[in-house]
Amino acid sequence: MTENSGENRLILYFARHGATAWIAHLDNMRLFERAFNRAGWPIAWTEDAFNPRPILVFGLPVGVGIETRRDPVEVTLKNRIDVEPMILCLNRSFPQGIEIVHWEEAPNTKRSLMSLVKAADYRIEAPMIGPAYSLTFGGGRRVVVPWTRKGKTREIDISSRIFETYNIDNDSIEFKGGAGSDLHLRIDLLLDALVCDGKLSPEDALGARIVRKRVHCDFMS
Amino acid sequence: MSEMERFDSPLYRSILRRVNKPARYVGGELNAIDKSRDFFSLSCTERVHFALCFPDLYEIGMSNLAIQVLYSALNCEDYIFCERCFAPDVDLRMLLRENNLPIVSIETMTPLNEFDLIGFSLHYELAYTAVLEMLDLAGIPLYAADRGKNDPLVVAGGPVACNLEPMAPFFDLIMLGDGEYQLPNLVHEYRKCKMAKLSNSYFFLQVCSMDGVYVPSFYEPNYMEDGRINEIKVIEPHAPKKVRKALVRDFDHTPIPKSPIVPNIEVTHDRMVLEIFRGCARGCRFCQAGFTYRPLRERSLGKLVDAAKHLIDVTGYDEIGLLSLSTSDYSHLDDLTRALLPMTEPRHINLSLPSLRLDSFEGDLAERLARIRRAGLTFAPEAGTQRLRDVINKNLTENDIFDAARTAFENGWDRLKLYFMLGLPTETEEDVQAIVDLTMRLLSVWRDIPKERRSKRLMMTVSTSFFIPKPFTPFQWERQISIEAMRAKQKLLADGLSDRRISYRWHDFESSVVEAVLARGDRRLSSVIEHAWRAGAYLDAWHEHFDPDIWTAALSLIPGGADFYTRERDEDEVFPWEHLDFGVTRHFFERERKLARDGRVTLSCFDGCAVCGCDLWQTGICLPSSKVRSDTGVRK
Repeated sequence: MTENSGENRLILYFARHGATAWIAHLDNMRLFERAFNRAGWPIAWTEDAFNPRPILVFGLPVGVGIETRRDPVEVTLKNRIDVEPMILCLNRSFPQGIEIVHWEEAPNTKRSLMSLVKAADYRIEAPMIGPAYSLTFGGGRRVVVPWTRKGKTREIDISSRIFETYNIDNDSIEFKGGAGSDLHLRIDLLLDALVCDGKLSPEDALGARIVRKRVHCDFMS
Repeated sequence: MSEMERFDSPLYRSILRRVNKPARYVGGELNAIDKSRDFFSLSCTERVHFALCFPDLYEIGMSNLAIQVLYSALNCEDYIFCERCFAPDVDLRMLLRENNLPIVSIETMTPLNEFDLIGFSLHYELAYTAVLEMLDLAGIPLYAADRGKNDPLVVAGGPVACNLEPMAPFFDLIMLGDGEYQLPNLVHEYRKCKMAKLSNSYFFLQVCSMDGVYVPSFYEPNYMEDGRINEIKVIEPHAPKKVRKALVRDFDHTPIPKSPIVPNIEVTHDRMVLEIFRGCARGCRFCQAGFTYRPLRERSLGKLVDAAKHLIDVTGYDEIGLLSLSTSDYSHLDDLTRALLPMTEPRHINLSLPSLRLDSFEGDLAERLARIRRAGLTFAPEAGTQRLRDVINKNLTENDIFDAARTAFENGWDRLKLYFMLGLPTETEEDVQAIVDLTMRLLSVWRDIPKERRSKRLMMTVSTSFFIPKPFTPFQWERQISIEAMRAKQKLLADGLSDRRISYRWHDFESSVVEAVLARGDRRLSSVIEHAWRAGAYLDAWHEHFDPDIWTAALSLIPGGADFYTRERDEDEVFPWEHLDFGVTRHFFERERKLARDGRVTLSCFDGCAVCGCDLWQTGICLPSSKVRSDTGVRK
């Protein structure tokens, strides 16, 4: 049984890699809109008379240069669809590198998908990043980095935004970090912290491969 | 390099993380073609690797229909692999130089110097320095004469090819006219020579008599003491005395790219494009494209409707643009918009009709456009007085302008952009003041409409650019006004257009001068361009990158400087483009210039043949049986 029931809202989970990992968030949204158009999905539109938009909500903006494996996007449909064949069609409509890997019905809540996002799992690969990470964050050290936005600089406690470390190798780390509106962990700041301590070279930080493996939302078990 | 290898490279990632909009450089767009698997299994002599280059940023290049058309036409052949390459922005340019890395193609990251052929699509003069930058970043000698047998051949084409003399020493070949058949034919000839292991010189001899193939090294201008050209000598006996442009006679059957590349980032014109016709019947005397693309050739309604349906399905864009030099001149425009709306409206797709003539903006068409989109509307009266509009042969009356504006206001438009040109031949202070008066009277038109029948607010933008005399126009002999005169005219307008509902924008003075110099320049300017580029000139069409001091210094290298090139030309002067033939005769231009001086207009090709010379192709509107022509008019 693949036909969805209840509200016409679905959560699709997408992976992106290769060239598409370098697309900025707004361009990524536009790319999805066009792919839905090509695939003939009956996306509902906002009722704004002047600037109607298709109703697509990304759980978490995806930064430039970050690959994803299972990022959620919520779509509102005008009518019910037979989901799996439509996903096959949608996957053929994406440029190479983007794929819907999973779907489910949207939770029955009035809260937006973005407000339900709580954390994300990351894998970062760079030479000797494991030892650098252990030395910087090991032993429950509090790590604070400056963050400048719109001309104002404030201090961010990075360590409190790393919820769990799954795995540390010489050249890779895997961890769960805060995501969404509370305690959001910016990966560039984490890499800055490793560089600031002189444990990771700036060149290796810039060349790091960053993969967001999973986004954790409130409605997930 | 495969995509996997490329994105597994920390160096590649570290460079992308240091530049603005890295998605410009990584490719991977929908419908981008990567033939590497099959193509590279062909033997080296059998295949032709072609780099289609655009000397400006990705967002500009990917907005250009020529890139999509040529990319599609070349890649139709199994033995051709056409890849794209755009000018890097200043950040990437610096990183490439710092790290001693070559500029590479988008599809397979192949360094440009490894291609067989490099083709530049050139659309404006201020892109010239980017050509040199791209060649240099590729490690390819700038001058054709300095390149060896292991270097790629460098080819250029596009609208400015009608006078690429300032850049001629950098190119092996220059392609004139329509490229969609001509360029694949050229590559075919190249492959034959490559398979037979024949030299480039032999290849040039083989192709120099093909329509539209200009081999600059076969022609040599010599100059008089005062710097004017004495004659352009044909130094290769087999080369034609005049190189005639290539022209697609059966435009209706030229393929429309079935699978255009859909960029992954927002580009300047982010929409699907339907070229509804090529050429123009109007004859505005300042407009180069209006003459060099003649004769007007239409696509049939059925082909366009089918193409639109297909493009909507395969691209997913939310806007479709009808492209031509004067959209309202399409003979089936009404039927076309009627056929398109049922496809576009339910899918929230905007229909964009740029280049609408003022005298066609009325009734049903305006109402239909208002239904689709009520964004800004641009009208181009070009000049403020009827006298000057007649001089430039705009064939627009003041009533046309007021009627169009009233229709726009009554249909709810609240933003109107008016485009004028300053410094036109015979222009007086009265003509400039008339732009202010016209704008103010248009404001009154809006005020006089009852409030319930018009928009609540109105914002008018007056935009001016400076007249640049261009080759292959009746004004090719005219001078460009001085910077002091430009400043005075611009000030007159800025002072006069002081209403809060009007904003005034103008084009830079200095870049207009450089554009004018290069537009009618000769081969001696190649060293000026090289000098400017070596001094740092790059991406000059961008206001933030254009440095007038660099160009002033470079132009001082030539006796007479910029003034020599912006001056009025003698009636019998030999032009640098004298050996090129775009169909319209010099005699026609001379006649048109005289009519301009007398303030007399020439009717459009729709109203009668003005004997411009393009009937030699016997196609499009030049055919006696043409459905888009009515032989009722005569010249006034």
